[in-house]
Amino acid sequence: MGSYRQQPGSGKGDQRRDGKRVAGKQVFPPPGSGGSDPEMRPRDLDFIPETVGGREPKPAGDHIHDRDRTGTAVGKPMALVDSNAKVTGQAWYGDDVRLQGEAIGKILRSPHHYARIKSIDTTRVEALPGVLAVATGEDAPNRFGVLPVTKDEHAMAVDKVRHVGDLVACVAAVDEATAIEALSLFDIEWELLEPVFDPKKGLEDHDEPIHWRGKYHLARTNVQKRVFQEFGDRSLVKTPNAASHGSWTMAGVHHGFTEPHAVVAHWDPNGRLQLYTPQQVPHYTHRALSTVLDVPMHQINVVRTFVGGGFGGKSDPFPHEMCAAILARKAGVPIRITFDREEVYWINRGRHPSHIDVKMTADNEGRISGFDIDALIDGGGFASFGHVTSYYNGVLATAPYELGSFHYTGARVWTNKPASGAMRGHGAVNTRCAVEVGLDEMAEQMAVDPIDLRLANLLPPHSRTISGFRITSNGMREALTRVREGSDWDNKFRQLPLGKGIGIGCGFFISGSGLPIHWDPKNFPHATVHIQVDMDGGVTVHTGAADIGQGSTTAVAQVVAEVLALPVEMIHVRSHESDTSPVDLGSYSSRVTFMNANAAIRAAIGIRDQLLKAAWEMLGYHPNVLVLNDRRIYYKHDPAVGVSYLQALHKAQEDTGALIARGAYRSPPMGGVHKGAAAGLAPAYSFSAYVAEVDVDVETGKVSCTNVWAAHDCGKALNPLAVRGQIIGSCHMGLGQVLSEKMVYGRTGHLQNANLLDYKIPSVHEMPHVEPIIVESSDPEGPFGAKEAGEGPLLPILPAVVNAVYDATGIRMRDLPLTPDVVYKAIEKHLKKHDIDDPLDLVPPTLTHAPLQEQLVERAKEHEIRDRLRQRSEDTSAYVNGVLFGFDPNRPLSEQVEGWREADEPLPEQLAELGFAGRAWLKKEQRHMEDDA
Amino acid sequence: MVGKEHITMTPPAASERWSGVVNGRPVEVLAPSNAVLLDVLRDKVGTLGVKRGCDLGTCGCCTVMIDGVPKLSCLTLAGQVKDTEILTVEGLSEGAHLTPIQTCFATHGGSQCGFCTPGFMIASQALLNVNDNPSRDEIAEAIEGNLCRCTGYQQIIDSIEAAAVLHRGEGEVTSPASDPHPDPHPSGPEDPTMPPGHAK
Repeated sequence: MGSYRQQPGSGKGDQRRDGKRVAGKQVFPPPGSGGSDPEMRPRDLDFIPETVGGREPKPAGDHIHDRDRTGTAVGKPMALVDSNAKVTGQAWYGDDVRLQGEAIGKILRSPHHYARIKSIDTTRVEALPGVLAVATGEDAPNRFGVLPVTKDEHAMAVDKVRHVGDLVACVAAVDEATAIEALSLFDIEWELLEPVFDPKKGLEDHDEPIHWRGKYHLARTNVQKRVFQEFGDRSLVKTPNAASHGSWTMAGVHHGFTEPHAVVAHWDPNGRLQLYTPQQVPHYTHRALSTVLDVPMHQINVVRTFVGGGFGGKSDPFPHEMCAAILARKAGVPIRITFDREEVYWINRGRHPSHIDVKMTADNEGRISGFDIDALIDGGGFASFGHVTSYYNGVLATAPYELGSFHYTGARVWTNKPASGAMRGHGAVNTRCAVEVGLDEMAEQMAVDPIDLRLANLLPPHSRTISGFRITSNGMREALTRVREGSDWDNKFRQLPLGKGIGIGCGFFISGSGLPIHWDPKNFPHATVHIQVDMDGGVTVHTGAADIGQGSTTAVAQVVAEVLALPVEMIHVRSHESDTSPVDLGSYSSRVTFMNANAAIRAAIGIRDQLLKAAWEMLGYHPNVLVLNDRRIYYKHDPAVGVSYLQALHKAQEDTGALIARGAYRSPPMGGVHKGAAAGLAPAYSFSAYVAEVDVDVETGKVSCTNVWAAHDCGKALNPLAVRGQIIGSCHMGLGQVLSEKMVYGRTGHLQNANLLDYKIPSVHEMPHVEPIIVESSDPEGPFGAKEAGEGPLLPILPAVVNAVYDATGIRMRDLPLTPDVVYKAIEKHLKKHDIDDPLDLVPPTLTHAPLQEQLVERAKEHEIRDRLRQRSEDTSAYVNGVLFGFDPNRPLSEQVEGWREADEPLPEQLAELGFAGRAWLKKEQRHMEDDA
Repeated sequence: MVGKEHITMTPPAASERWSGVVNGRPVEVLAPSNAVLLDVLRDKVGTLGVKRGCDLGTCGCCTVMIDGVPKLSCLTLAGQVKDTEILTVEGLSEGAHLTPIQTCFATHGGSQCGFCTPGFMIASQALLNVNDNPSRDEIAEAIEGNLCRCTGYQQIIDSIEAAAVLHRGEGEVTSPASDPHPDPHPSGPEDPTMPPGHAK
C-alpha cells in the first residue's frame, strides 16, 4: 500500500475512527497525474449544473447525466480534436491514401440516358499495354443498395444503363493516361431505350420501366414508392378562416462537398480486403461489399479516411467502391479510383427535385385545422434512400405545430437522371419551406403576426404529434422569442421600404432515426463504444462513429473526458477501421452525437466505476462520497484526502491489467402501428427558428440575404464553437438552395452544370451575417441533454428568405432557387397583372392587426406557462396533438371525433380528389392486377 | 468520362526533369512535360496536403504560394514554375510549432471537414504577409476564390482576424491546440509525490 501514499511526510497514513488505515492526507494541493499539467485544476463550477451544486443554470430542471458532470469539457467551446491534422495538411482523405505499387482505376460511364447493353467487347482494352485489369457488370451480378428493401444497384451496369454517367465498366492501368485511353477502347453495342426525365411522366405506364419490381411493381409506371398518410378529421378544413394553397417547384441540389469521392482497395497477403474510403456510413459499405464480392464481412476491413465533407452525399455504399475492390482482386495490386468533379455529379445522391403542393387552413381561432401535402419527388435512376425520403417529405411536417388534421400523399419516381438521395435535412427541407410559407400567407390573410400565429399553435414539450411522434424536450418557443428580440422583428416586419424585407421560418428535425436500417432495434444496439485504459493513463476510445467534419470524434472525446475528469488531450478516439471499432450505423439522420455520445458516456461510467472502486479500497470512503476532479479522486468533505488518477488506475489494474468498458445505446420503443409509423421516429427532435433579412433589387430581380438570426434548440451545446459552426454552415447551404444552387437538366435531359463554376455555391461575398443563437432545452435522453445541431438548422433558412422576399416585394414566389431570372419574371408578371408600369411603384405589404391577434397573444402567454411546467416535468399529464382543439388526451381520438381517421391507404371515394403524386394510388401493383386477371 | 470520344494517349507526353524549392527544400523529380503543378506536387513531390477539388480553378483547394503569391496549382503548368519557391500547407508551420493562422483555424472553428483548409490557409497567410491588420472586408476579398461548404465562411473570417492579432505579436498563444507537442511527457509525472512543476 505504501506506493499509494500521497506524500513522503505522512507516510504512515491516517487512521479513521473505525481503525481502518487510509492513504495519507495531503497538506498542499496535490499534483494530478496523467496529462501535461502537474497541478490539479480546481473544479470549474460554471460548467457543473446547479442541480448538483455547480453554477450552470438548468432552467429545464434535473437531467439524468447531471451527476456525471465534472466541469471538464462539456459546454466549453473547443477546437476539434483532429484540427491540428487538418491545419498541417496531414489529414488523409480518400485520394491521399497511396499504397506501394498502386495502380489507377477509371470508370467507363454511360453516354446514353437509357439503353440496354447488348454486348461489351473488351478485347481491345485488354490488349493495350499497361492495362492490368478490366471489369464489367458480369463480374459482380449481386445487387446492393443502402436500404435492404430497395436493393437496385449493381457495381456496374447489368443489362441496362439508367442515366448518363451510370457505370458501365472499369479498368485498372499502370497510370492515369493509360487508364483513360483504355476507356476509349471498349466496343459496346447499345440498344437505345426511351428515356423519362419529367417526374410527372413517371406516373404514366411505360413499355420499359426503369426498374422492375416484379409482383410489387406498380402497373408499368416508374413509381418507386408511394405513400399515403391521413390523420385527423378532414371535415375541420371545410370552413376555413384562412386558406393557403401553394404549388412549388424545387430544383435538385447537390451536397457540393469539396472532396470528390475517392477509394483505395487492397487485398492483403492473407486475402483480406482493405478498403479505404471517405464514407459517412462505413458499416453499410462493409455490408454491401460483402454482398457484392461474395466475401464474408470478417474478411473485409473498411477504413474510413478523413471525410472532406459529406452532408449525406457519402452515405450510400457506392458502386465505385465495389469496382476498386473487383479491380484490385483481378490485378493483384492496390487500386486507387478518384473522381473528377463531373463524376461527383453523376453519382449525385443530392436533394430530390420536387413538385410540392401544399394546402393549409386555419379556423376562426387561428388554429391550424389542416395540412394537405402532396409531394412528387424525382428520384433519378436508383432508389438510394428514397424509400425514407418519400415518407420524410410528409411526416416531418407534423410538428412543431398542433394540427387539426394531416393528409399526405407522396410519390417518388425513377427518371433517367443521376440518383437523388439523402442530403442534409433529408426529405424535410422542401416541404418545410412550403409549409412555413403557407403559414406566412395565412397570417397575412388573418391579419396577424406570423410569429404570434406560430407561438399560439406550438406543441408543448413532452407531447405527441398527430402522427404519433414522441416529442420530449422542445425549445421552439424560446427559439421564436429570441429571434424575435434579436432581429427587432416588431419594428421591422411589414414596415420596411420596398426592396427590403424580413421573414420568419421554423424547423423541426429528427435527432437520430429510431429504427436502425438493417436490424430490429431489439436485436442490436444503435451504437456501441469501447474504452480501454492502460497503465499510462491514456484513454483509448473505439467507436465506429464517422467524423465527417461535424466533430463527432470531438464530441465523443469530450463526453468521455467529462465523465472521467481528464483533459481532452488524454482521450484518444480511434474510429477509422471497422476491424477495431464496434459497429456503428454511421453519420446520417443526425444520430451520431445523440446515440454515440450516449454510448460513450455509458462506457466511461464503466471505467469510472472501476476507478472509484479502487479509490474506495485505498481511501476507505465509499464512491458516493468520492469526487472525481482533474486527474484526482478525493473525499468530498476533505479534498486533501485523495489519490491521484494514476494511483487509482494502477490499483484497479492490479489483477486485470488494462481497464476495459463498453457502452451501448438503444432507442426506447416508440411510435404507432400504421404503415410507415417508423419513418421519422426519433428519440428526440430538434427545433429551430430563423429570421432573415433580404435586399431585393426589384429592377433586376437580384435577391441578397443580408442578416440572419438563427436560433436552434440543440438540447445542450456540448461544444458551442462547433454548434455555432453547424448553424452558420447550415445557413450557407440552405441559402445556396434558396438563392442560387440548381442542378440544371436541359431539354434533352442532360445535366448541364456538372462543375463548380456553373453550379453556384455561395462564395464568401454571398454570405449574410449570421447571428447563431443556441437554445438549450436539455433533452431528458440526450447525452448531457444534447440533441442534433447538424441538419435541423438548415430547414428554416429557406422559408425565412422566401417570406422575406414577400415582405420586400409583396409577391409570393414558389420556384426555387430564387435566381434573378425567376424573381424578375415573377415581378414582371405581377406588374402586368396589376397594371403597374414601374417596378419601383410596387407597394410592399403592410399589416394592421385584426382582433384575432390579441387572442393569439393571450393564448401564447397561457401556453408559455403550460410549456414551462411541462418542460420542468412539474406537469406530467399526457398531451397529444388535438388538445388545442378541445379533445381529451386520455381517450383515443377516434372515440371522440366523428370522422377521425388514421390511414395509410386512401378510401375508394378519396381516389378522385387526390393530388398529383397521390394519383400513384390509382395504379395497382402487379400482384393485384394478376388477381384481377 | 462519358461517351466514346477517342482519346489517344500514346505516345504519352515525355517525362522531363522538374525542379523547384518546395517548402524550403530543393526538389528534383521527373514529371510529364504537360503536367499541371497540382499533379507534380501530389504525385511526385508528395505534398498531399495540396488538395484537388475541382480541376477547374473554381474551389481554391489547391492554392499554393508561388514565390510568395497565392496561385491555383491546378491551373498552373508545372513547366511554367520551374525553379520557383513553392509553399504548401506542409510548409506553413515553423518546426513543430503552428503559425498563428494554423492555430486560429483550429481554435476559432475555421476548419470543419478540413478539406478546403489548406487552400484557405495559404490564401490568408498571403494576405497576412502583406497586410497584418486586415478588415473583415479585406479578408473576404482575400478568400473569395476559395469555396468552403462546411463553415459558411464566418468562422474562417473570425480565424483570420484572430490570426492577424497573433501575427502582429499582440496576442498570446494560449490554446492547447496551438502547439502539437506541448509537453515532452504528455502523461505527466508518473510519481505523484513529485513536487508541482516537476514535469516542466
